[in-house]
Amino acid sequence: MSTLRKLNSVFLTPRTDHQLSRWLLFVLALHFGILAAGFFAPYDPADQDRDRPYLPPMRMHFLDAQHHFHARPFFYALRLAPGSFDQYEEDVSAPIPLRFFTAGARYHLLGFIPARRHLFGSGASHPTPNNPPPRLYLLGTDAFGRDLLSRFLFGGQISLLAGLLGAAVTLSLGTLVGLTAGFVGGWRDDMLMRLAELFLALPWLYLLFALRAFLPLSVSPVQAFFLVVVVIGVVGWARPARLVRSIVLSVKERDFVRAARGFGASDFYLLHRHLLPETATVLFTQAAILIPQFVLAEMTLSFLGLGVPEPASSWGNLLAALQQYSVLVSYWWMYIPALLMLPFFVGYLGLASALQHRSRPFKMEAGVSQANSELPVAVSKEVAGA
Amino acid sequence: MRYLLRRASHALFLLFGVSVLTFLFSALTPGNYFDEMRLNPQISQETVAALRAQSQLDHPLPLRYIHWLGGVAHGNLGFSFAYNSPVGPLLRTRACNTLLLAGTATVLAWLIGLPLGIWSASRMNRAPDKLVSAGTATLLVLPDLVLALGLLILAVRTGWFPTGGLTSTNYNGFSTLQKFRDLTAHMTLPVLALTLSALPNIVRHVRAAIADELQSPFLRAAEAHGIPQRKLLYNYAVRAAANPLISLLGFSIGTLLSGSLLVEVIMSWPGLGPLFLESILARDFYVVIAGVLLSMLFLVAGNLFADILLYLADPRIRTAERSQ
Amino acid sequence: MCQICRFLWPCCVGALVLSIGVTYVTSAQTPQPVSTSAGREELLALPGELGHPGGRLVVSLRAEPKTLNPLLSADAPSREVIAAMQSDLVHINRATQLTEPALAKSWRISPDGLQYTLTLRQGLRFSDGHPLDADDVLFTFRLYLDGNLHSPQRDLLIIGGKPIAVRKLDSQTVVFTLARKYGVEERLFDGLAILPRHLLEKPYQEGRLAQLWNPATPASEIAGLGPFRLKEYVPGQKLTLERNPYYWKTDAQGTRLPYLNELLFLFVPSADAQVLKFQSGETDLISRVNADNFSVLSRQQRDYTMSDAGPGLEYNFLFFNLNDLGPKASADALRKQRVFAKPEFRRAISFAIDRDAIVRLVYQGRGTPLAGPVTPGNRRWLDEKIPHALRDLPQARLMLQQAGFSWQNDASTGDSTLLDPDHSPVSFSILTSSSSAERNKMATLVQDDLKQLGVKIQIVPLEFRSLIDRVTQTKEYEACILGLASFDADPNSDINVWLSSGAQHLWNPAQSKPATAWEAEIDRLMEQQLVTPGYEQRKRLYDRVQEILAENQPMIFLASPHILVGAKNSLANFHPAVLEPYVLWNVDQLYFRNAAQQSASK
Repeated sequence: MSTLRKLNSVFLTPRTDHQLSRWLLFVLALHFGILAAGFFAPYDPADQDRDRPYLPPMRMHFLDAQHHFHARPFFYALRLAPGSFDQYEEDVSAPIPLRFFTAGARYHLLGFIPARRHLFGSGASHPTPNNPPPRLYLLGTDAFGRDLLSRFLFGGQISLLAGLLGAAVTLSLGTLVGLTAGFVGGWRDDMLMRLAELFLALPWLYLLFALRAFLPLSVSPVQAFFLVVVVIGVVGWARPARLVRSIVLSVKERDFVRAARGFGASDFYLLHRHLLPETATVLFTQAAILIPQFVLAEMTLSFLGLGVPEPASSWGNLLAALQQYSVLVSYWWMYIPALLMLPFFVGYLGLASALQHRSRPFKMEAGVSQANSELPVAVSKEVAGA
Repeated sequence: MRYLLRRASHALFLLFGVSVLTFLFSALTPGNYFDEMRLNPQISQETVAALRAQSQLDHPLPLRYIHWLGGVAHGNLGFSFAYNSPVGPLLRTRACNTLLLAGTATVLAWLIGLPLGIWSASRMNRAPDKLVSAGTATLLVLPDLVLALGLLILAVRTGWFPTGGLTSTNYNGFSTLQKFRDLTAHMTLPVLALTLSALPNIVRHVRAAIADELQSPFLRAAEAHGIPQRKLLYNYAVRAAANPLISLLGFSIGTLLSGSLLVEVIMSWPGLGPLFLESILARDFYVVIAGVLLSMLFLVAGNLFADILLYLADPRIRTAERSQ
Repeated sequence: MCQICRFLWPCCVGALVLSIGVTYVTSAQTPQPVSTSAGREELLALPGELGHPGGRLVVSLRAEPKTLNPLLSADAPSREVIAAMQSDLVHINRATQLTEPALAKSWRISPDGLQYTLTLRQGLRFSDGHPLDADDVLFTFRLYLDGNLHSPQRDLLIIGGKPIAVRKLDSQTVVFTLARKYGVEERLFDGLAILPRHLLEKPYQEGRLAQLWNPATPASEIAGLGPFRLKEYVPGQKLTLERNPYYWKTDAQGTRLPYLNELLFLFVPSADAQVLKFQSGETDLISRVNADNFSVLSRQQRDYTMSDAGPGLEYNFLFFNLNDLGPKASADALRKQRVFAKPEFRRAISFAIDRDAIVRLVYQGRGTPLAGPVTPGNRRWLDEKIPHALRDLPQARLMLQQAGFSWQNDASTGDSTLLDPDHSPVSFSILTSSSSAERNKMATLVQDDLKQLGVKIQIVPLEFRSLIDRVTQTKEYEACILGLASFDADPNSDINVWLSSGAQHLWNPAQSKPATAWEAEIDRLMEQQLVTPGYEQRKRLYDRVQEILAENQPMIFLASPHILVGAKNSLANFHPAVLEPYVLWNVDQLYFRNAAQQSASK
């Protein structure tokens, strides 16, 4: 069967719409999990358990030491093997049952609703300061004995926010410039494009170090971090601008636009009614590509020491701990956040693919692929000083 | 021709602008190379101040810029404080090391990616295509940071590959064949990391471009004429899809020097990346500026090369140019 | 002539000829002590294990040495390489931390303490064969003291405000005259390499000295008196030193040292990469491993052994900004500084910090909690009377209460916030260097400790040079965690940290006059110990300084890491020390047990 006939059948089908909604649902579900991190995470991410640094993940048991079966799964507390710093052994005398919807550390759902219920925990219903309930570490702990699962969930809040914020800033600025350049044309267009090339080529790493060093100490480190993200966002306007501009240029000469102009439509009307919708599809696809790129940029920043400071956790922080050889070799569970992050990237990738299939399948993909191919080198490597 | 001259003049403007802005940034960044000595109780403040004065770091910025520009015109790129030697030879060695790595990786990525993309496009949406798509999706999703770290662990655990560096300590005593083998062994992992990170984009791009051309009218007409599949693919579709691919090639060339920073740092490859990072942290002023300009030069050269190639390859551009 | 005379005359002539001949022959056989270098060498015989020659030692360096010129070296890699290539007049034995004769075979200090007379060994030669004499010593010190060369070593030779004066008595004796008595005595000569006049005099007169002796210099242009001399330098990769055949030390049996044929420095920029190279066997030694990597290496000891040499001389501390902020300071900054300026506040913070947790979690137990700047690694100068700094939260609260602080409890969250006497919440930021993982960890632990006291801390990691700029130049910071490593066990090596006029007096540097009474007292004590000869008296003075520091806590001392090193099992005579250079201080006595195998693998 000819390749070309096969291709024809792949075109805009209801299947692509179905795919898009599936991926969208997937991404939204993941984001909801991160948004409600306080509920899903059993502990506060900054709580240190200094007697249990680098604890491996606790194993779930159904059969206890006497080979009795328990319907409710339970864990054994881990304690340091005598004379060792990081070798743990199970304490079979103290099983910890897994309970759901337990009361635990206070948190604020969605930032303002105070709550105390967590999805799961070790179940002591009235913990007192003098007798804290034994803790369940499903993913193990880090260097300070902080629960890795909680740090991953809360860290996602910061990383994803950085992604969304950066992408939003880049896209809005880029769209603005691209629309102007494409619409106005002439020497202003030329100048803006030259400026764009300049922006693409500069070593932004230097600027970021300078920025960080300059900020007054009254700015909290978390605020400083987001300022850095905004700066990267501002810096990245060049690529979406070029993309939007090329679309505007091609659409500007279309018949329906000319007709509208002939009817006396104002510039603003044209922009708002005709050009913007055309760019909308591209912008959505760009967003789906840029958000993970900005999350990666946050990870690169943390790797270089410009990330969110303690005790806040971010995905970049969690990965940056893997920089040390000793961690790579001895504490395998520190990898797990890297694996847990992958569904997010996969989700965004799927979303981007679905969006591009939904619009013009191949022409768009070439254009989007172009942007896509530039982008992996885009933010994270720009940040890395290319 | 005018088109190319215009592009070349733009490139020159770009280089100039970047050099001015980099100078400005470095003046904004607090701290200088000699600051580290301030924490040493054995060295007095007068000595530190004298050393600073000697290095002319206190002169006003425009003066330093003009001085530097004059030096560059004579081929003198400045002096490195950290290495105590002129910047030119230092950069040359490091840039050659990076080009060796990145060049090999780029060539490999294209050699594998181009046929793979074409094959994938010709089997659109069937099992091979889905396999390739899944593979590229996985590679795209893995940050190259994680990839490089993973390969390093592999080297350590298995001992099959050297764990970093350019050559073994006994390199000078080797015969030519042994030298070649030693270098190859050291290059394997970084090249693998770079190739794997560049591959998915090339494959996807090629696939998209070819698939795009495969549905165009002229190709359908050619098929109707009875021209065989293979010829359609390689002689017609690839040629028509050359335009975006050449842009991508230009981009690959442009990022030869700058794209491998993370991998070089993780694998201790003595290239431009670690030098650049180290110089920023040490405030080794002239090395940073020269490094930035060198990367910029490559970027610009890459784009220019792509433009020239496009001009030669795509008759539409030539005619558009002439009609102007 | 009579018959007897006719007989005697040939006998006399013959006897004369014979005696001349005998004298000539015998004098040619007996070695004459000659003052020129063509004659007998006075070598130093070192005690210790005997080894056999051969082998190449491979060591990794964190960065490339900037220069091989002892006049200009200020960075650690340069110092390490230069230490293997040069020798000094009097050397501090890194194991005993006491001085011993080096190029000077003996010295005498005049009763008034102002004249040091050193006698050089005879017949010694530089690594290129040229003889050493007192003129080289004179020339060397002239270079060190030359104000135009800006040598960092110059500052060590300004005593009592005046540079040291050098003159020679004869070709083997040199006299140093100081402007005033110096408690450090002959230790001041350690590390001052003696330079070859025959190679450097001409460039010095031409003003080219500052550009000389970078690593790319041809080996024939560099000479020194150390165990090794330059062989080869490959930029970006390695630096090779080869055995100096004219080295002036031998082992107890008279074999000329060093045993090793070559010393190879590999440039390996990251600590983790160094660990990998050591593990794979590419390097033979590893120095100053951090505790995490030490555990990893210890777990897999196949053909190497890791050792813990005990606490070093590094001390990490938290300090507050006590500078005079000037008229443009914000009200907020002034308010915070009023809190920092209270010694009770600082002592309470010190009580609240859990130093044992720091040692456990940051150094994996391979560290020592500190109550003062002198670590247990410095046995001679540690004041044993200072109490250990144990965590005592109730005591901290009590101290704060007595100083006028109070707590405000938040019913909804159960947290309490510390309020200063003006009823504003106490919170501040701590700067750390983003490149020091260990100090960042310490900061995180301190942050959690102080949270229990009701103090909210923000940690601000800054890139190192920006940090130094803020602390030493612009003084825009609130608190900071830094570490310093003493260069020598002698308290004088850190004098600029304790003197209020010192530039490294970090919490309030370069004061024109002491800001507080206790700083004035420390100034007085340090100045006094500077001119007091005799260990016991100096120790009493320095003990008092340590006690004043413990009472006022301008720096809250945290912990000191142990010196963790490793070496291949085939390397013998390996005795790591806690003073720099930790593993190569006795490189001239290191040898490989299977040296034949080692030199074959070259």
